[in-house]
Amino acid sequence: MKALRFYALTALGLALFPFAIHPIGGYGGLATQILIAGIASIGFNLLLGYAGLLSYGQAMFYGVGGYVALLTVSRFFPQFPNFWLAIALAVAFVTLMAFVIGTLVVRLYGIYFALLTLAFAQMFFFIVFKWRDLTQGDDGLQGIASPPLALGPWSIDLTTSFPAFDLGPFGNLSDLHYWYAFVAIVMLAVLGFMRSLVSSQFGEILTAIRENEERSALVGFDPRRYKLAAFVIAGTLAGLSGALRGLYETSIAPDALTVETSGNFVIYTVIGGVKTLFGPLVGTGLVMYLQNVISAKTDAWRLIEGILFVAVIVFLPGGVLGTFSRKGARTVLARAVRVRPESVP
Amino acid sequence: MSDAILETTGLGKRFGAFAANSDIDFSVQEGELRAVIGPNGAGKTTFFNLLAGVTQATDGEIRFRGERITPLRAPRRVARGIAKAFQTANIYPSETVLQNCRLAALARVSGLFAFEVFRSSRRLVDVDGIAHEALELVELEPLAGVRAGDLSHGDKKRLDIAVALATKPRVLLLDEPVAGMSLDEVRKTDGLIRGLAKRMTVLLIEHDMTMIMGISDSITVLHQGKILAEGTPAEIRANARVQEAYLGGHTEGHL
Amino acid sequence: MQGPAPLRGRPPFALPEDSTIDAILSQLPGQLLDGFVRGLVYVAIALGLTIVFGMLRLVNFAHGAFYAIGAYVGLVVAERYGLAAGLIVAPLAVALFAVVFDRVLLRFFYDKEPTAQILVTFGVALVVQESLRLYFGGTTRSFPIPAALSVPVNLGFTQYPAYRLAFAVGIVAIVLLVWLFIQYTSYGLIVRAGIRDRTMVQLLGGNVALASTIVFALGAGLAGLVGAAASPIYSVDPDTGFSFLVPSFVVVVIGGLGSFWGAVIGGLIVGELQSLTTLVLPAASDVVIYVAMALVLLVRPSGLLGESEVIRG
Repeated sequence: MKALRFYALTALGLALFPFAIHPIGGYGGLATQILIAGIASIGFNLLLGYAGLLSYGQAMFYGVGGYVALLTVSRFFPQFPNFWLAIALAVAFVTLMAFVIGTLVVRLYGIYFALLTLAFAQMFFFIVFKWRDLTQGDDGLQGIASPPLALGPWSIDLTTSFPAFDLGPFGNLSDLHYWYAFVAIVMLAVLGFMRSLVSSQFGEILTAIRENEERSALVGFDPRRYKLAAFVIAGTLAGLSGALRGLYETSIAPDALTVETSGNFVIYTVIGGVKTLFGPLVGTGLVMYLQNVISAKTDAWRLIEGILFVAVIVFLPGGVLGTFSRKGARTVLARAVRVRPESVP
Repeated sequence: MSDAILETTGLGKRFGAFAANSDIDFSVQEGELRAVIGPNGAGKTTFFNLLAGVTQATDGEIRFRGERITPLRAPRRVARGIAKAFQTANIYPSETVLQNCRLAALARVSGLFAFEVFRSSRRLVDVDGIAHEALELVELEPLAGVRAGDLSHGDKKRLDIAVALATKPRVLLLDEPVAGMSLDEVRKTDGLIRGLAKRMTVLLIEHDMTMIMGISDSITVLHQGKILAEGTPAEIRANARVQEAYLGGHTEGHL
Repeated sequence: MQGPAPLRGRPPFALPEDSTIDAILSQLPGQLLDGFVRGLVYVAIALGLTIVFGMLRLVNFAHGAFYAIGAYVGLVVAERYGLAAGLIVAPLAVALFAVVFDRVLLRFFYDKEPTAQILVTFGVALVVQESLRLYFGGTTRSFPIPAALSVPVNLGFTQYPAYRLAFAVGIVAIVLLVWLFIQYTSYGLIVRAGIRDRTMVQLLGGNVALASTIVFALGAGLAGLVGAAASPIYSVDPDTGFSFLVPSFVVVVIGGLGSFWGAVIGGLIVGELQSLTTLVLPAASDVVIYVAMALVLLVRPSGLLGESEVIRG
């Protein structure tokens, strides 16, 4: 069965991933960070790759998710620290946020859409930055230990590392913490969801709307609702990603809501491959590897990242993954001669 | 008048100071084949766009089966049964001919919005049925697997009609369906429209007068955004004011 | 990348200590002038942005990079040869960079989707930012004002630094010059017509390509010039490009994409909005411009003076 094969192979890949990157300088913590950020990138890809909407504001959902999760533990329910509660509150809040903002934002197109998402993101950035009472402003929230994961009768401290087991050039099993296993399971679920969505009726219609919105409206689809749904899903995933990041790093700062952070998700996804399932994850991995490993070797790593980004856009619009598929090659050619669509009346 | 399937009262559309349509009191009975003609710039396409919901009216009301649909946007009008085929064929170029119709059928079956993120549309049996039916009507069934963007111009226009048909409309608006077609294709499309007119109300914009006169139950003439005359083909042919409006205008064939 | 250095730190969500009407009034002239100066910076940047969009239908996320390059080039040249030299070399260097950028990369994206344009120009902006960071280091640099202009000038109702006054006068003069160019020269005519209908101008034989390149270089040079000229007022670091780009988009949205006077009015509005809000509610001074931008986008996306033909759902 195709689905079974997908889940099995993906699970295997996720399990091997932290060890596979060890010989080139990777480590367990990096692998965990990549998966966490990858969740937001995958959400962004739904917006850009499938709905055709470039949002420059994903960081607001990401950052707010992180703050709400950490505040739940440290301020809202300090006597009752619960991992699931922190995640649930963060996700619920961000989903509501995405719904409200999305309703306003999906009325616009192209540059206006991007600018409005940017405007909202900046608003949230400054609110978080200035609201010292709640968010500690510039200092951010720090040192908030993540509550253990409650799973039925068990209470699992996610910072526990796996027992030691030497894997030669691939490191040691103890380099990994339970955190990675948890995040890997979440990632598996997210990938499975996205895979299903893309080939689902919803995905089919979203693609149609992207291809010809006027026609889609005139066969009876409501484009705004579909775009809103995509926006909310992307926002929710970004919020989940942010919440996990906050709990994992035990800290968060306003820089999680900057234009730069929003830009990061754009870069990860485009480099990895828009409109591919694993592209955003690959891109996130590639760039974060650059950020964490190459940065130790040279100061020019961000420059390399920028050049790579431009190179991909110009020469490989399908991204790294997109180019290595038949469909991707056709997309590259199609993009090369593509003309801007007429504006919708 | 009260059992008109589609009617407008005082309908108008202004773009700034320019009135593309004004004071249009229009009414069509169910099952009619009504042609809308007029010199270029008369506002015919604007009128259809107002009916279909592509643009919103600045004045007046539109009623469909007695219900006021003026504030509704295009998707809701399609859901109620008003479909439009475009002047320049507006289809999904990278999808197959079949998929183009399937999408329209999908909208008809699943509605304005369906958050179905797990199952594919293939589970809805009706969708394929409706799509194939629409393709058969326009005789594009043999090209079902062809990429829509690769079709000839005439075939694209027929696909456009098929897509409109796949929404199972009660009122079909055809905007210059035979423009740019070869004589042979025109004949085929003429037959198609006659067939469709038996099953639904058809509104037709065309410049091919021979075709219009032969096919229509009645004709509405627009001139400078207003209704100039209405009547049977014979009445319109004899109408002096209509002939006057056309002198200096652009038509094919004689009135 | 959060925006220009926050306007003086104060306790957030609290009125200034001295919140009597008198206190506010006494600070008002200074803040108004500050807002005017800041607004002029925005105007100069936004002009290039809006004209390029109007004429080339191009969204240039790299426009902030022009400002940053101008600032650094101006800094380097001025440190060795004086401020005047810096102010001459900086815009020329930036204009040259812009032309190369256009010919080598950007022109292939003229007819692409706005999304593709945003992405590629964003990428280039990133490359520029990081190159500047690598070459000049990440620390903030500031330029010493020439002695003659570092004295405060007595304006009657308040004292105000001479340099800022000179800056304001200079920018106003240049804006007027640009306007004269667009209104009264043949290239300017092509620009204005091109903003309305690019294809028609080409059909009529106007050299749109050349005019486009000139316009692009002009906008870039303007941003570079103000980058150099403003560096004594606002300090310079590699993130400056994006710091000024984002508010510039606010300006362009409020004023109307493609409108010359829209950029002027928008820039002054945004500058003053920031300054005046600092006086009354300092914590909100940065947020308020984005609220304004969101409101404009939602209510009238074409902005104050933009075309009504706008891409809306």
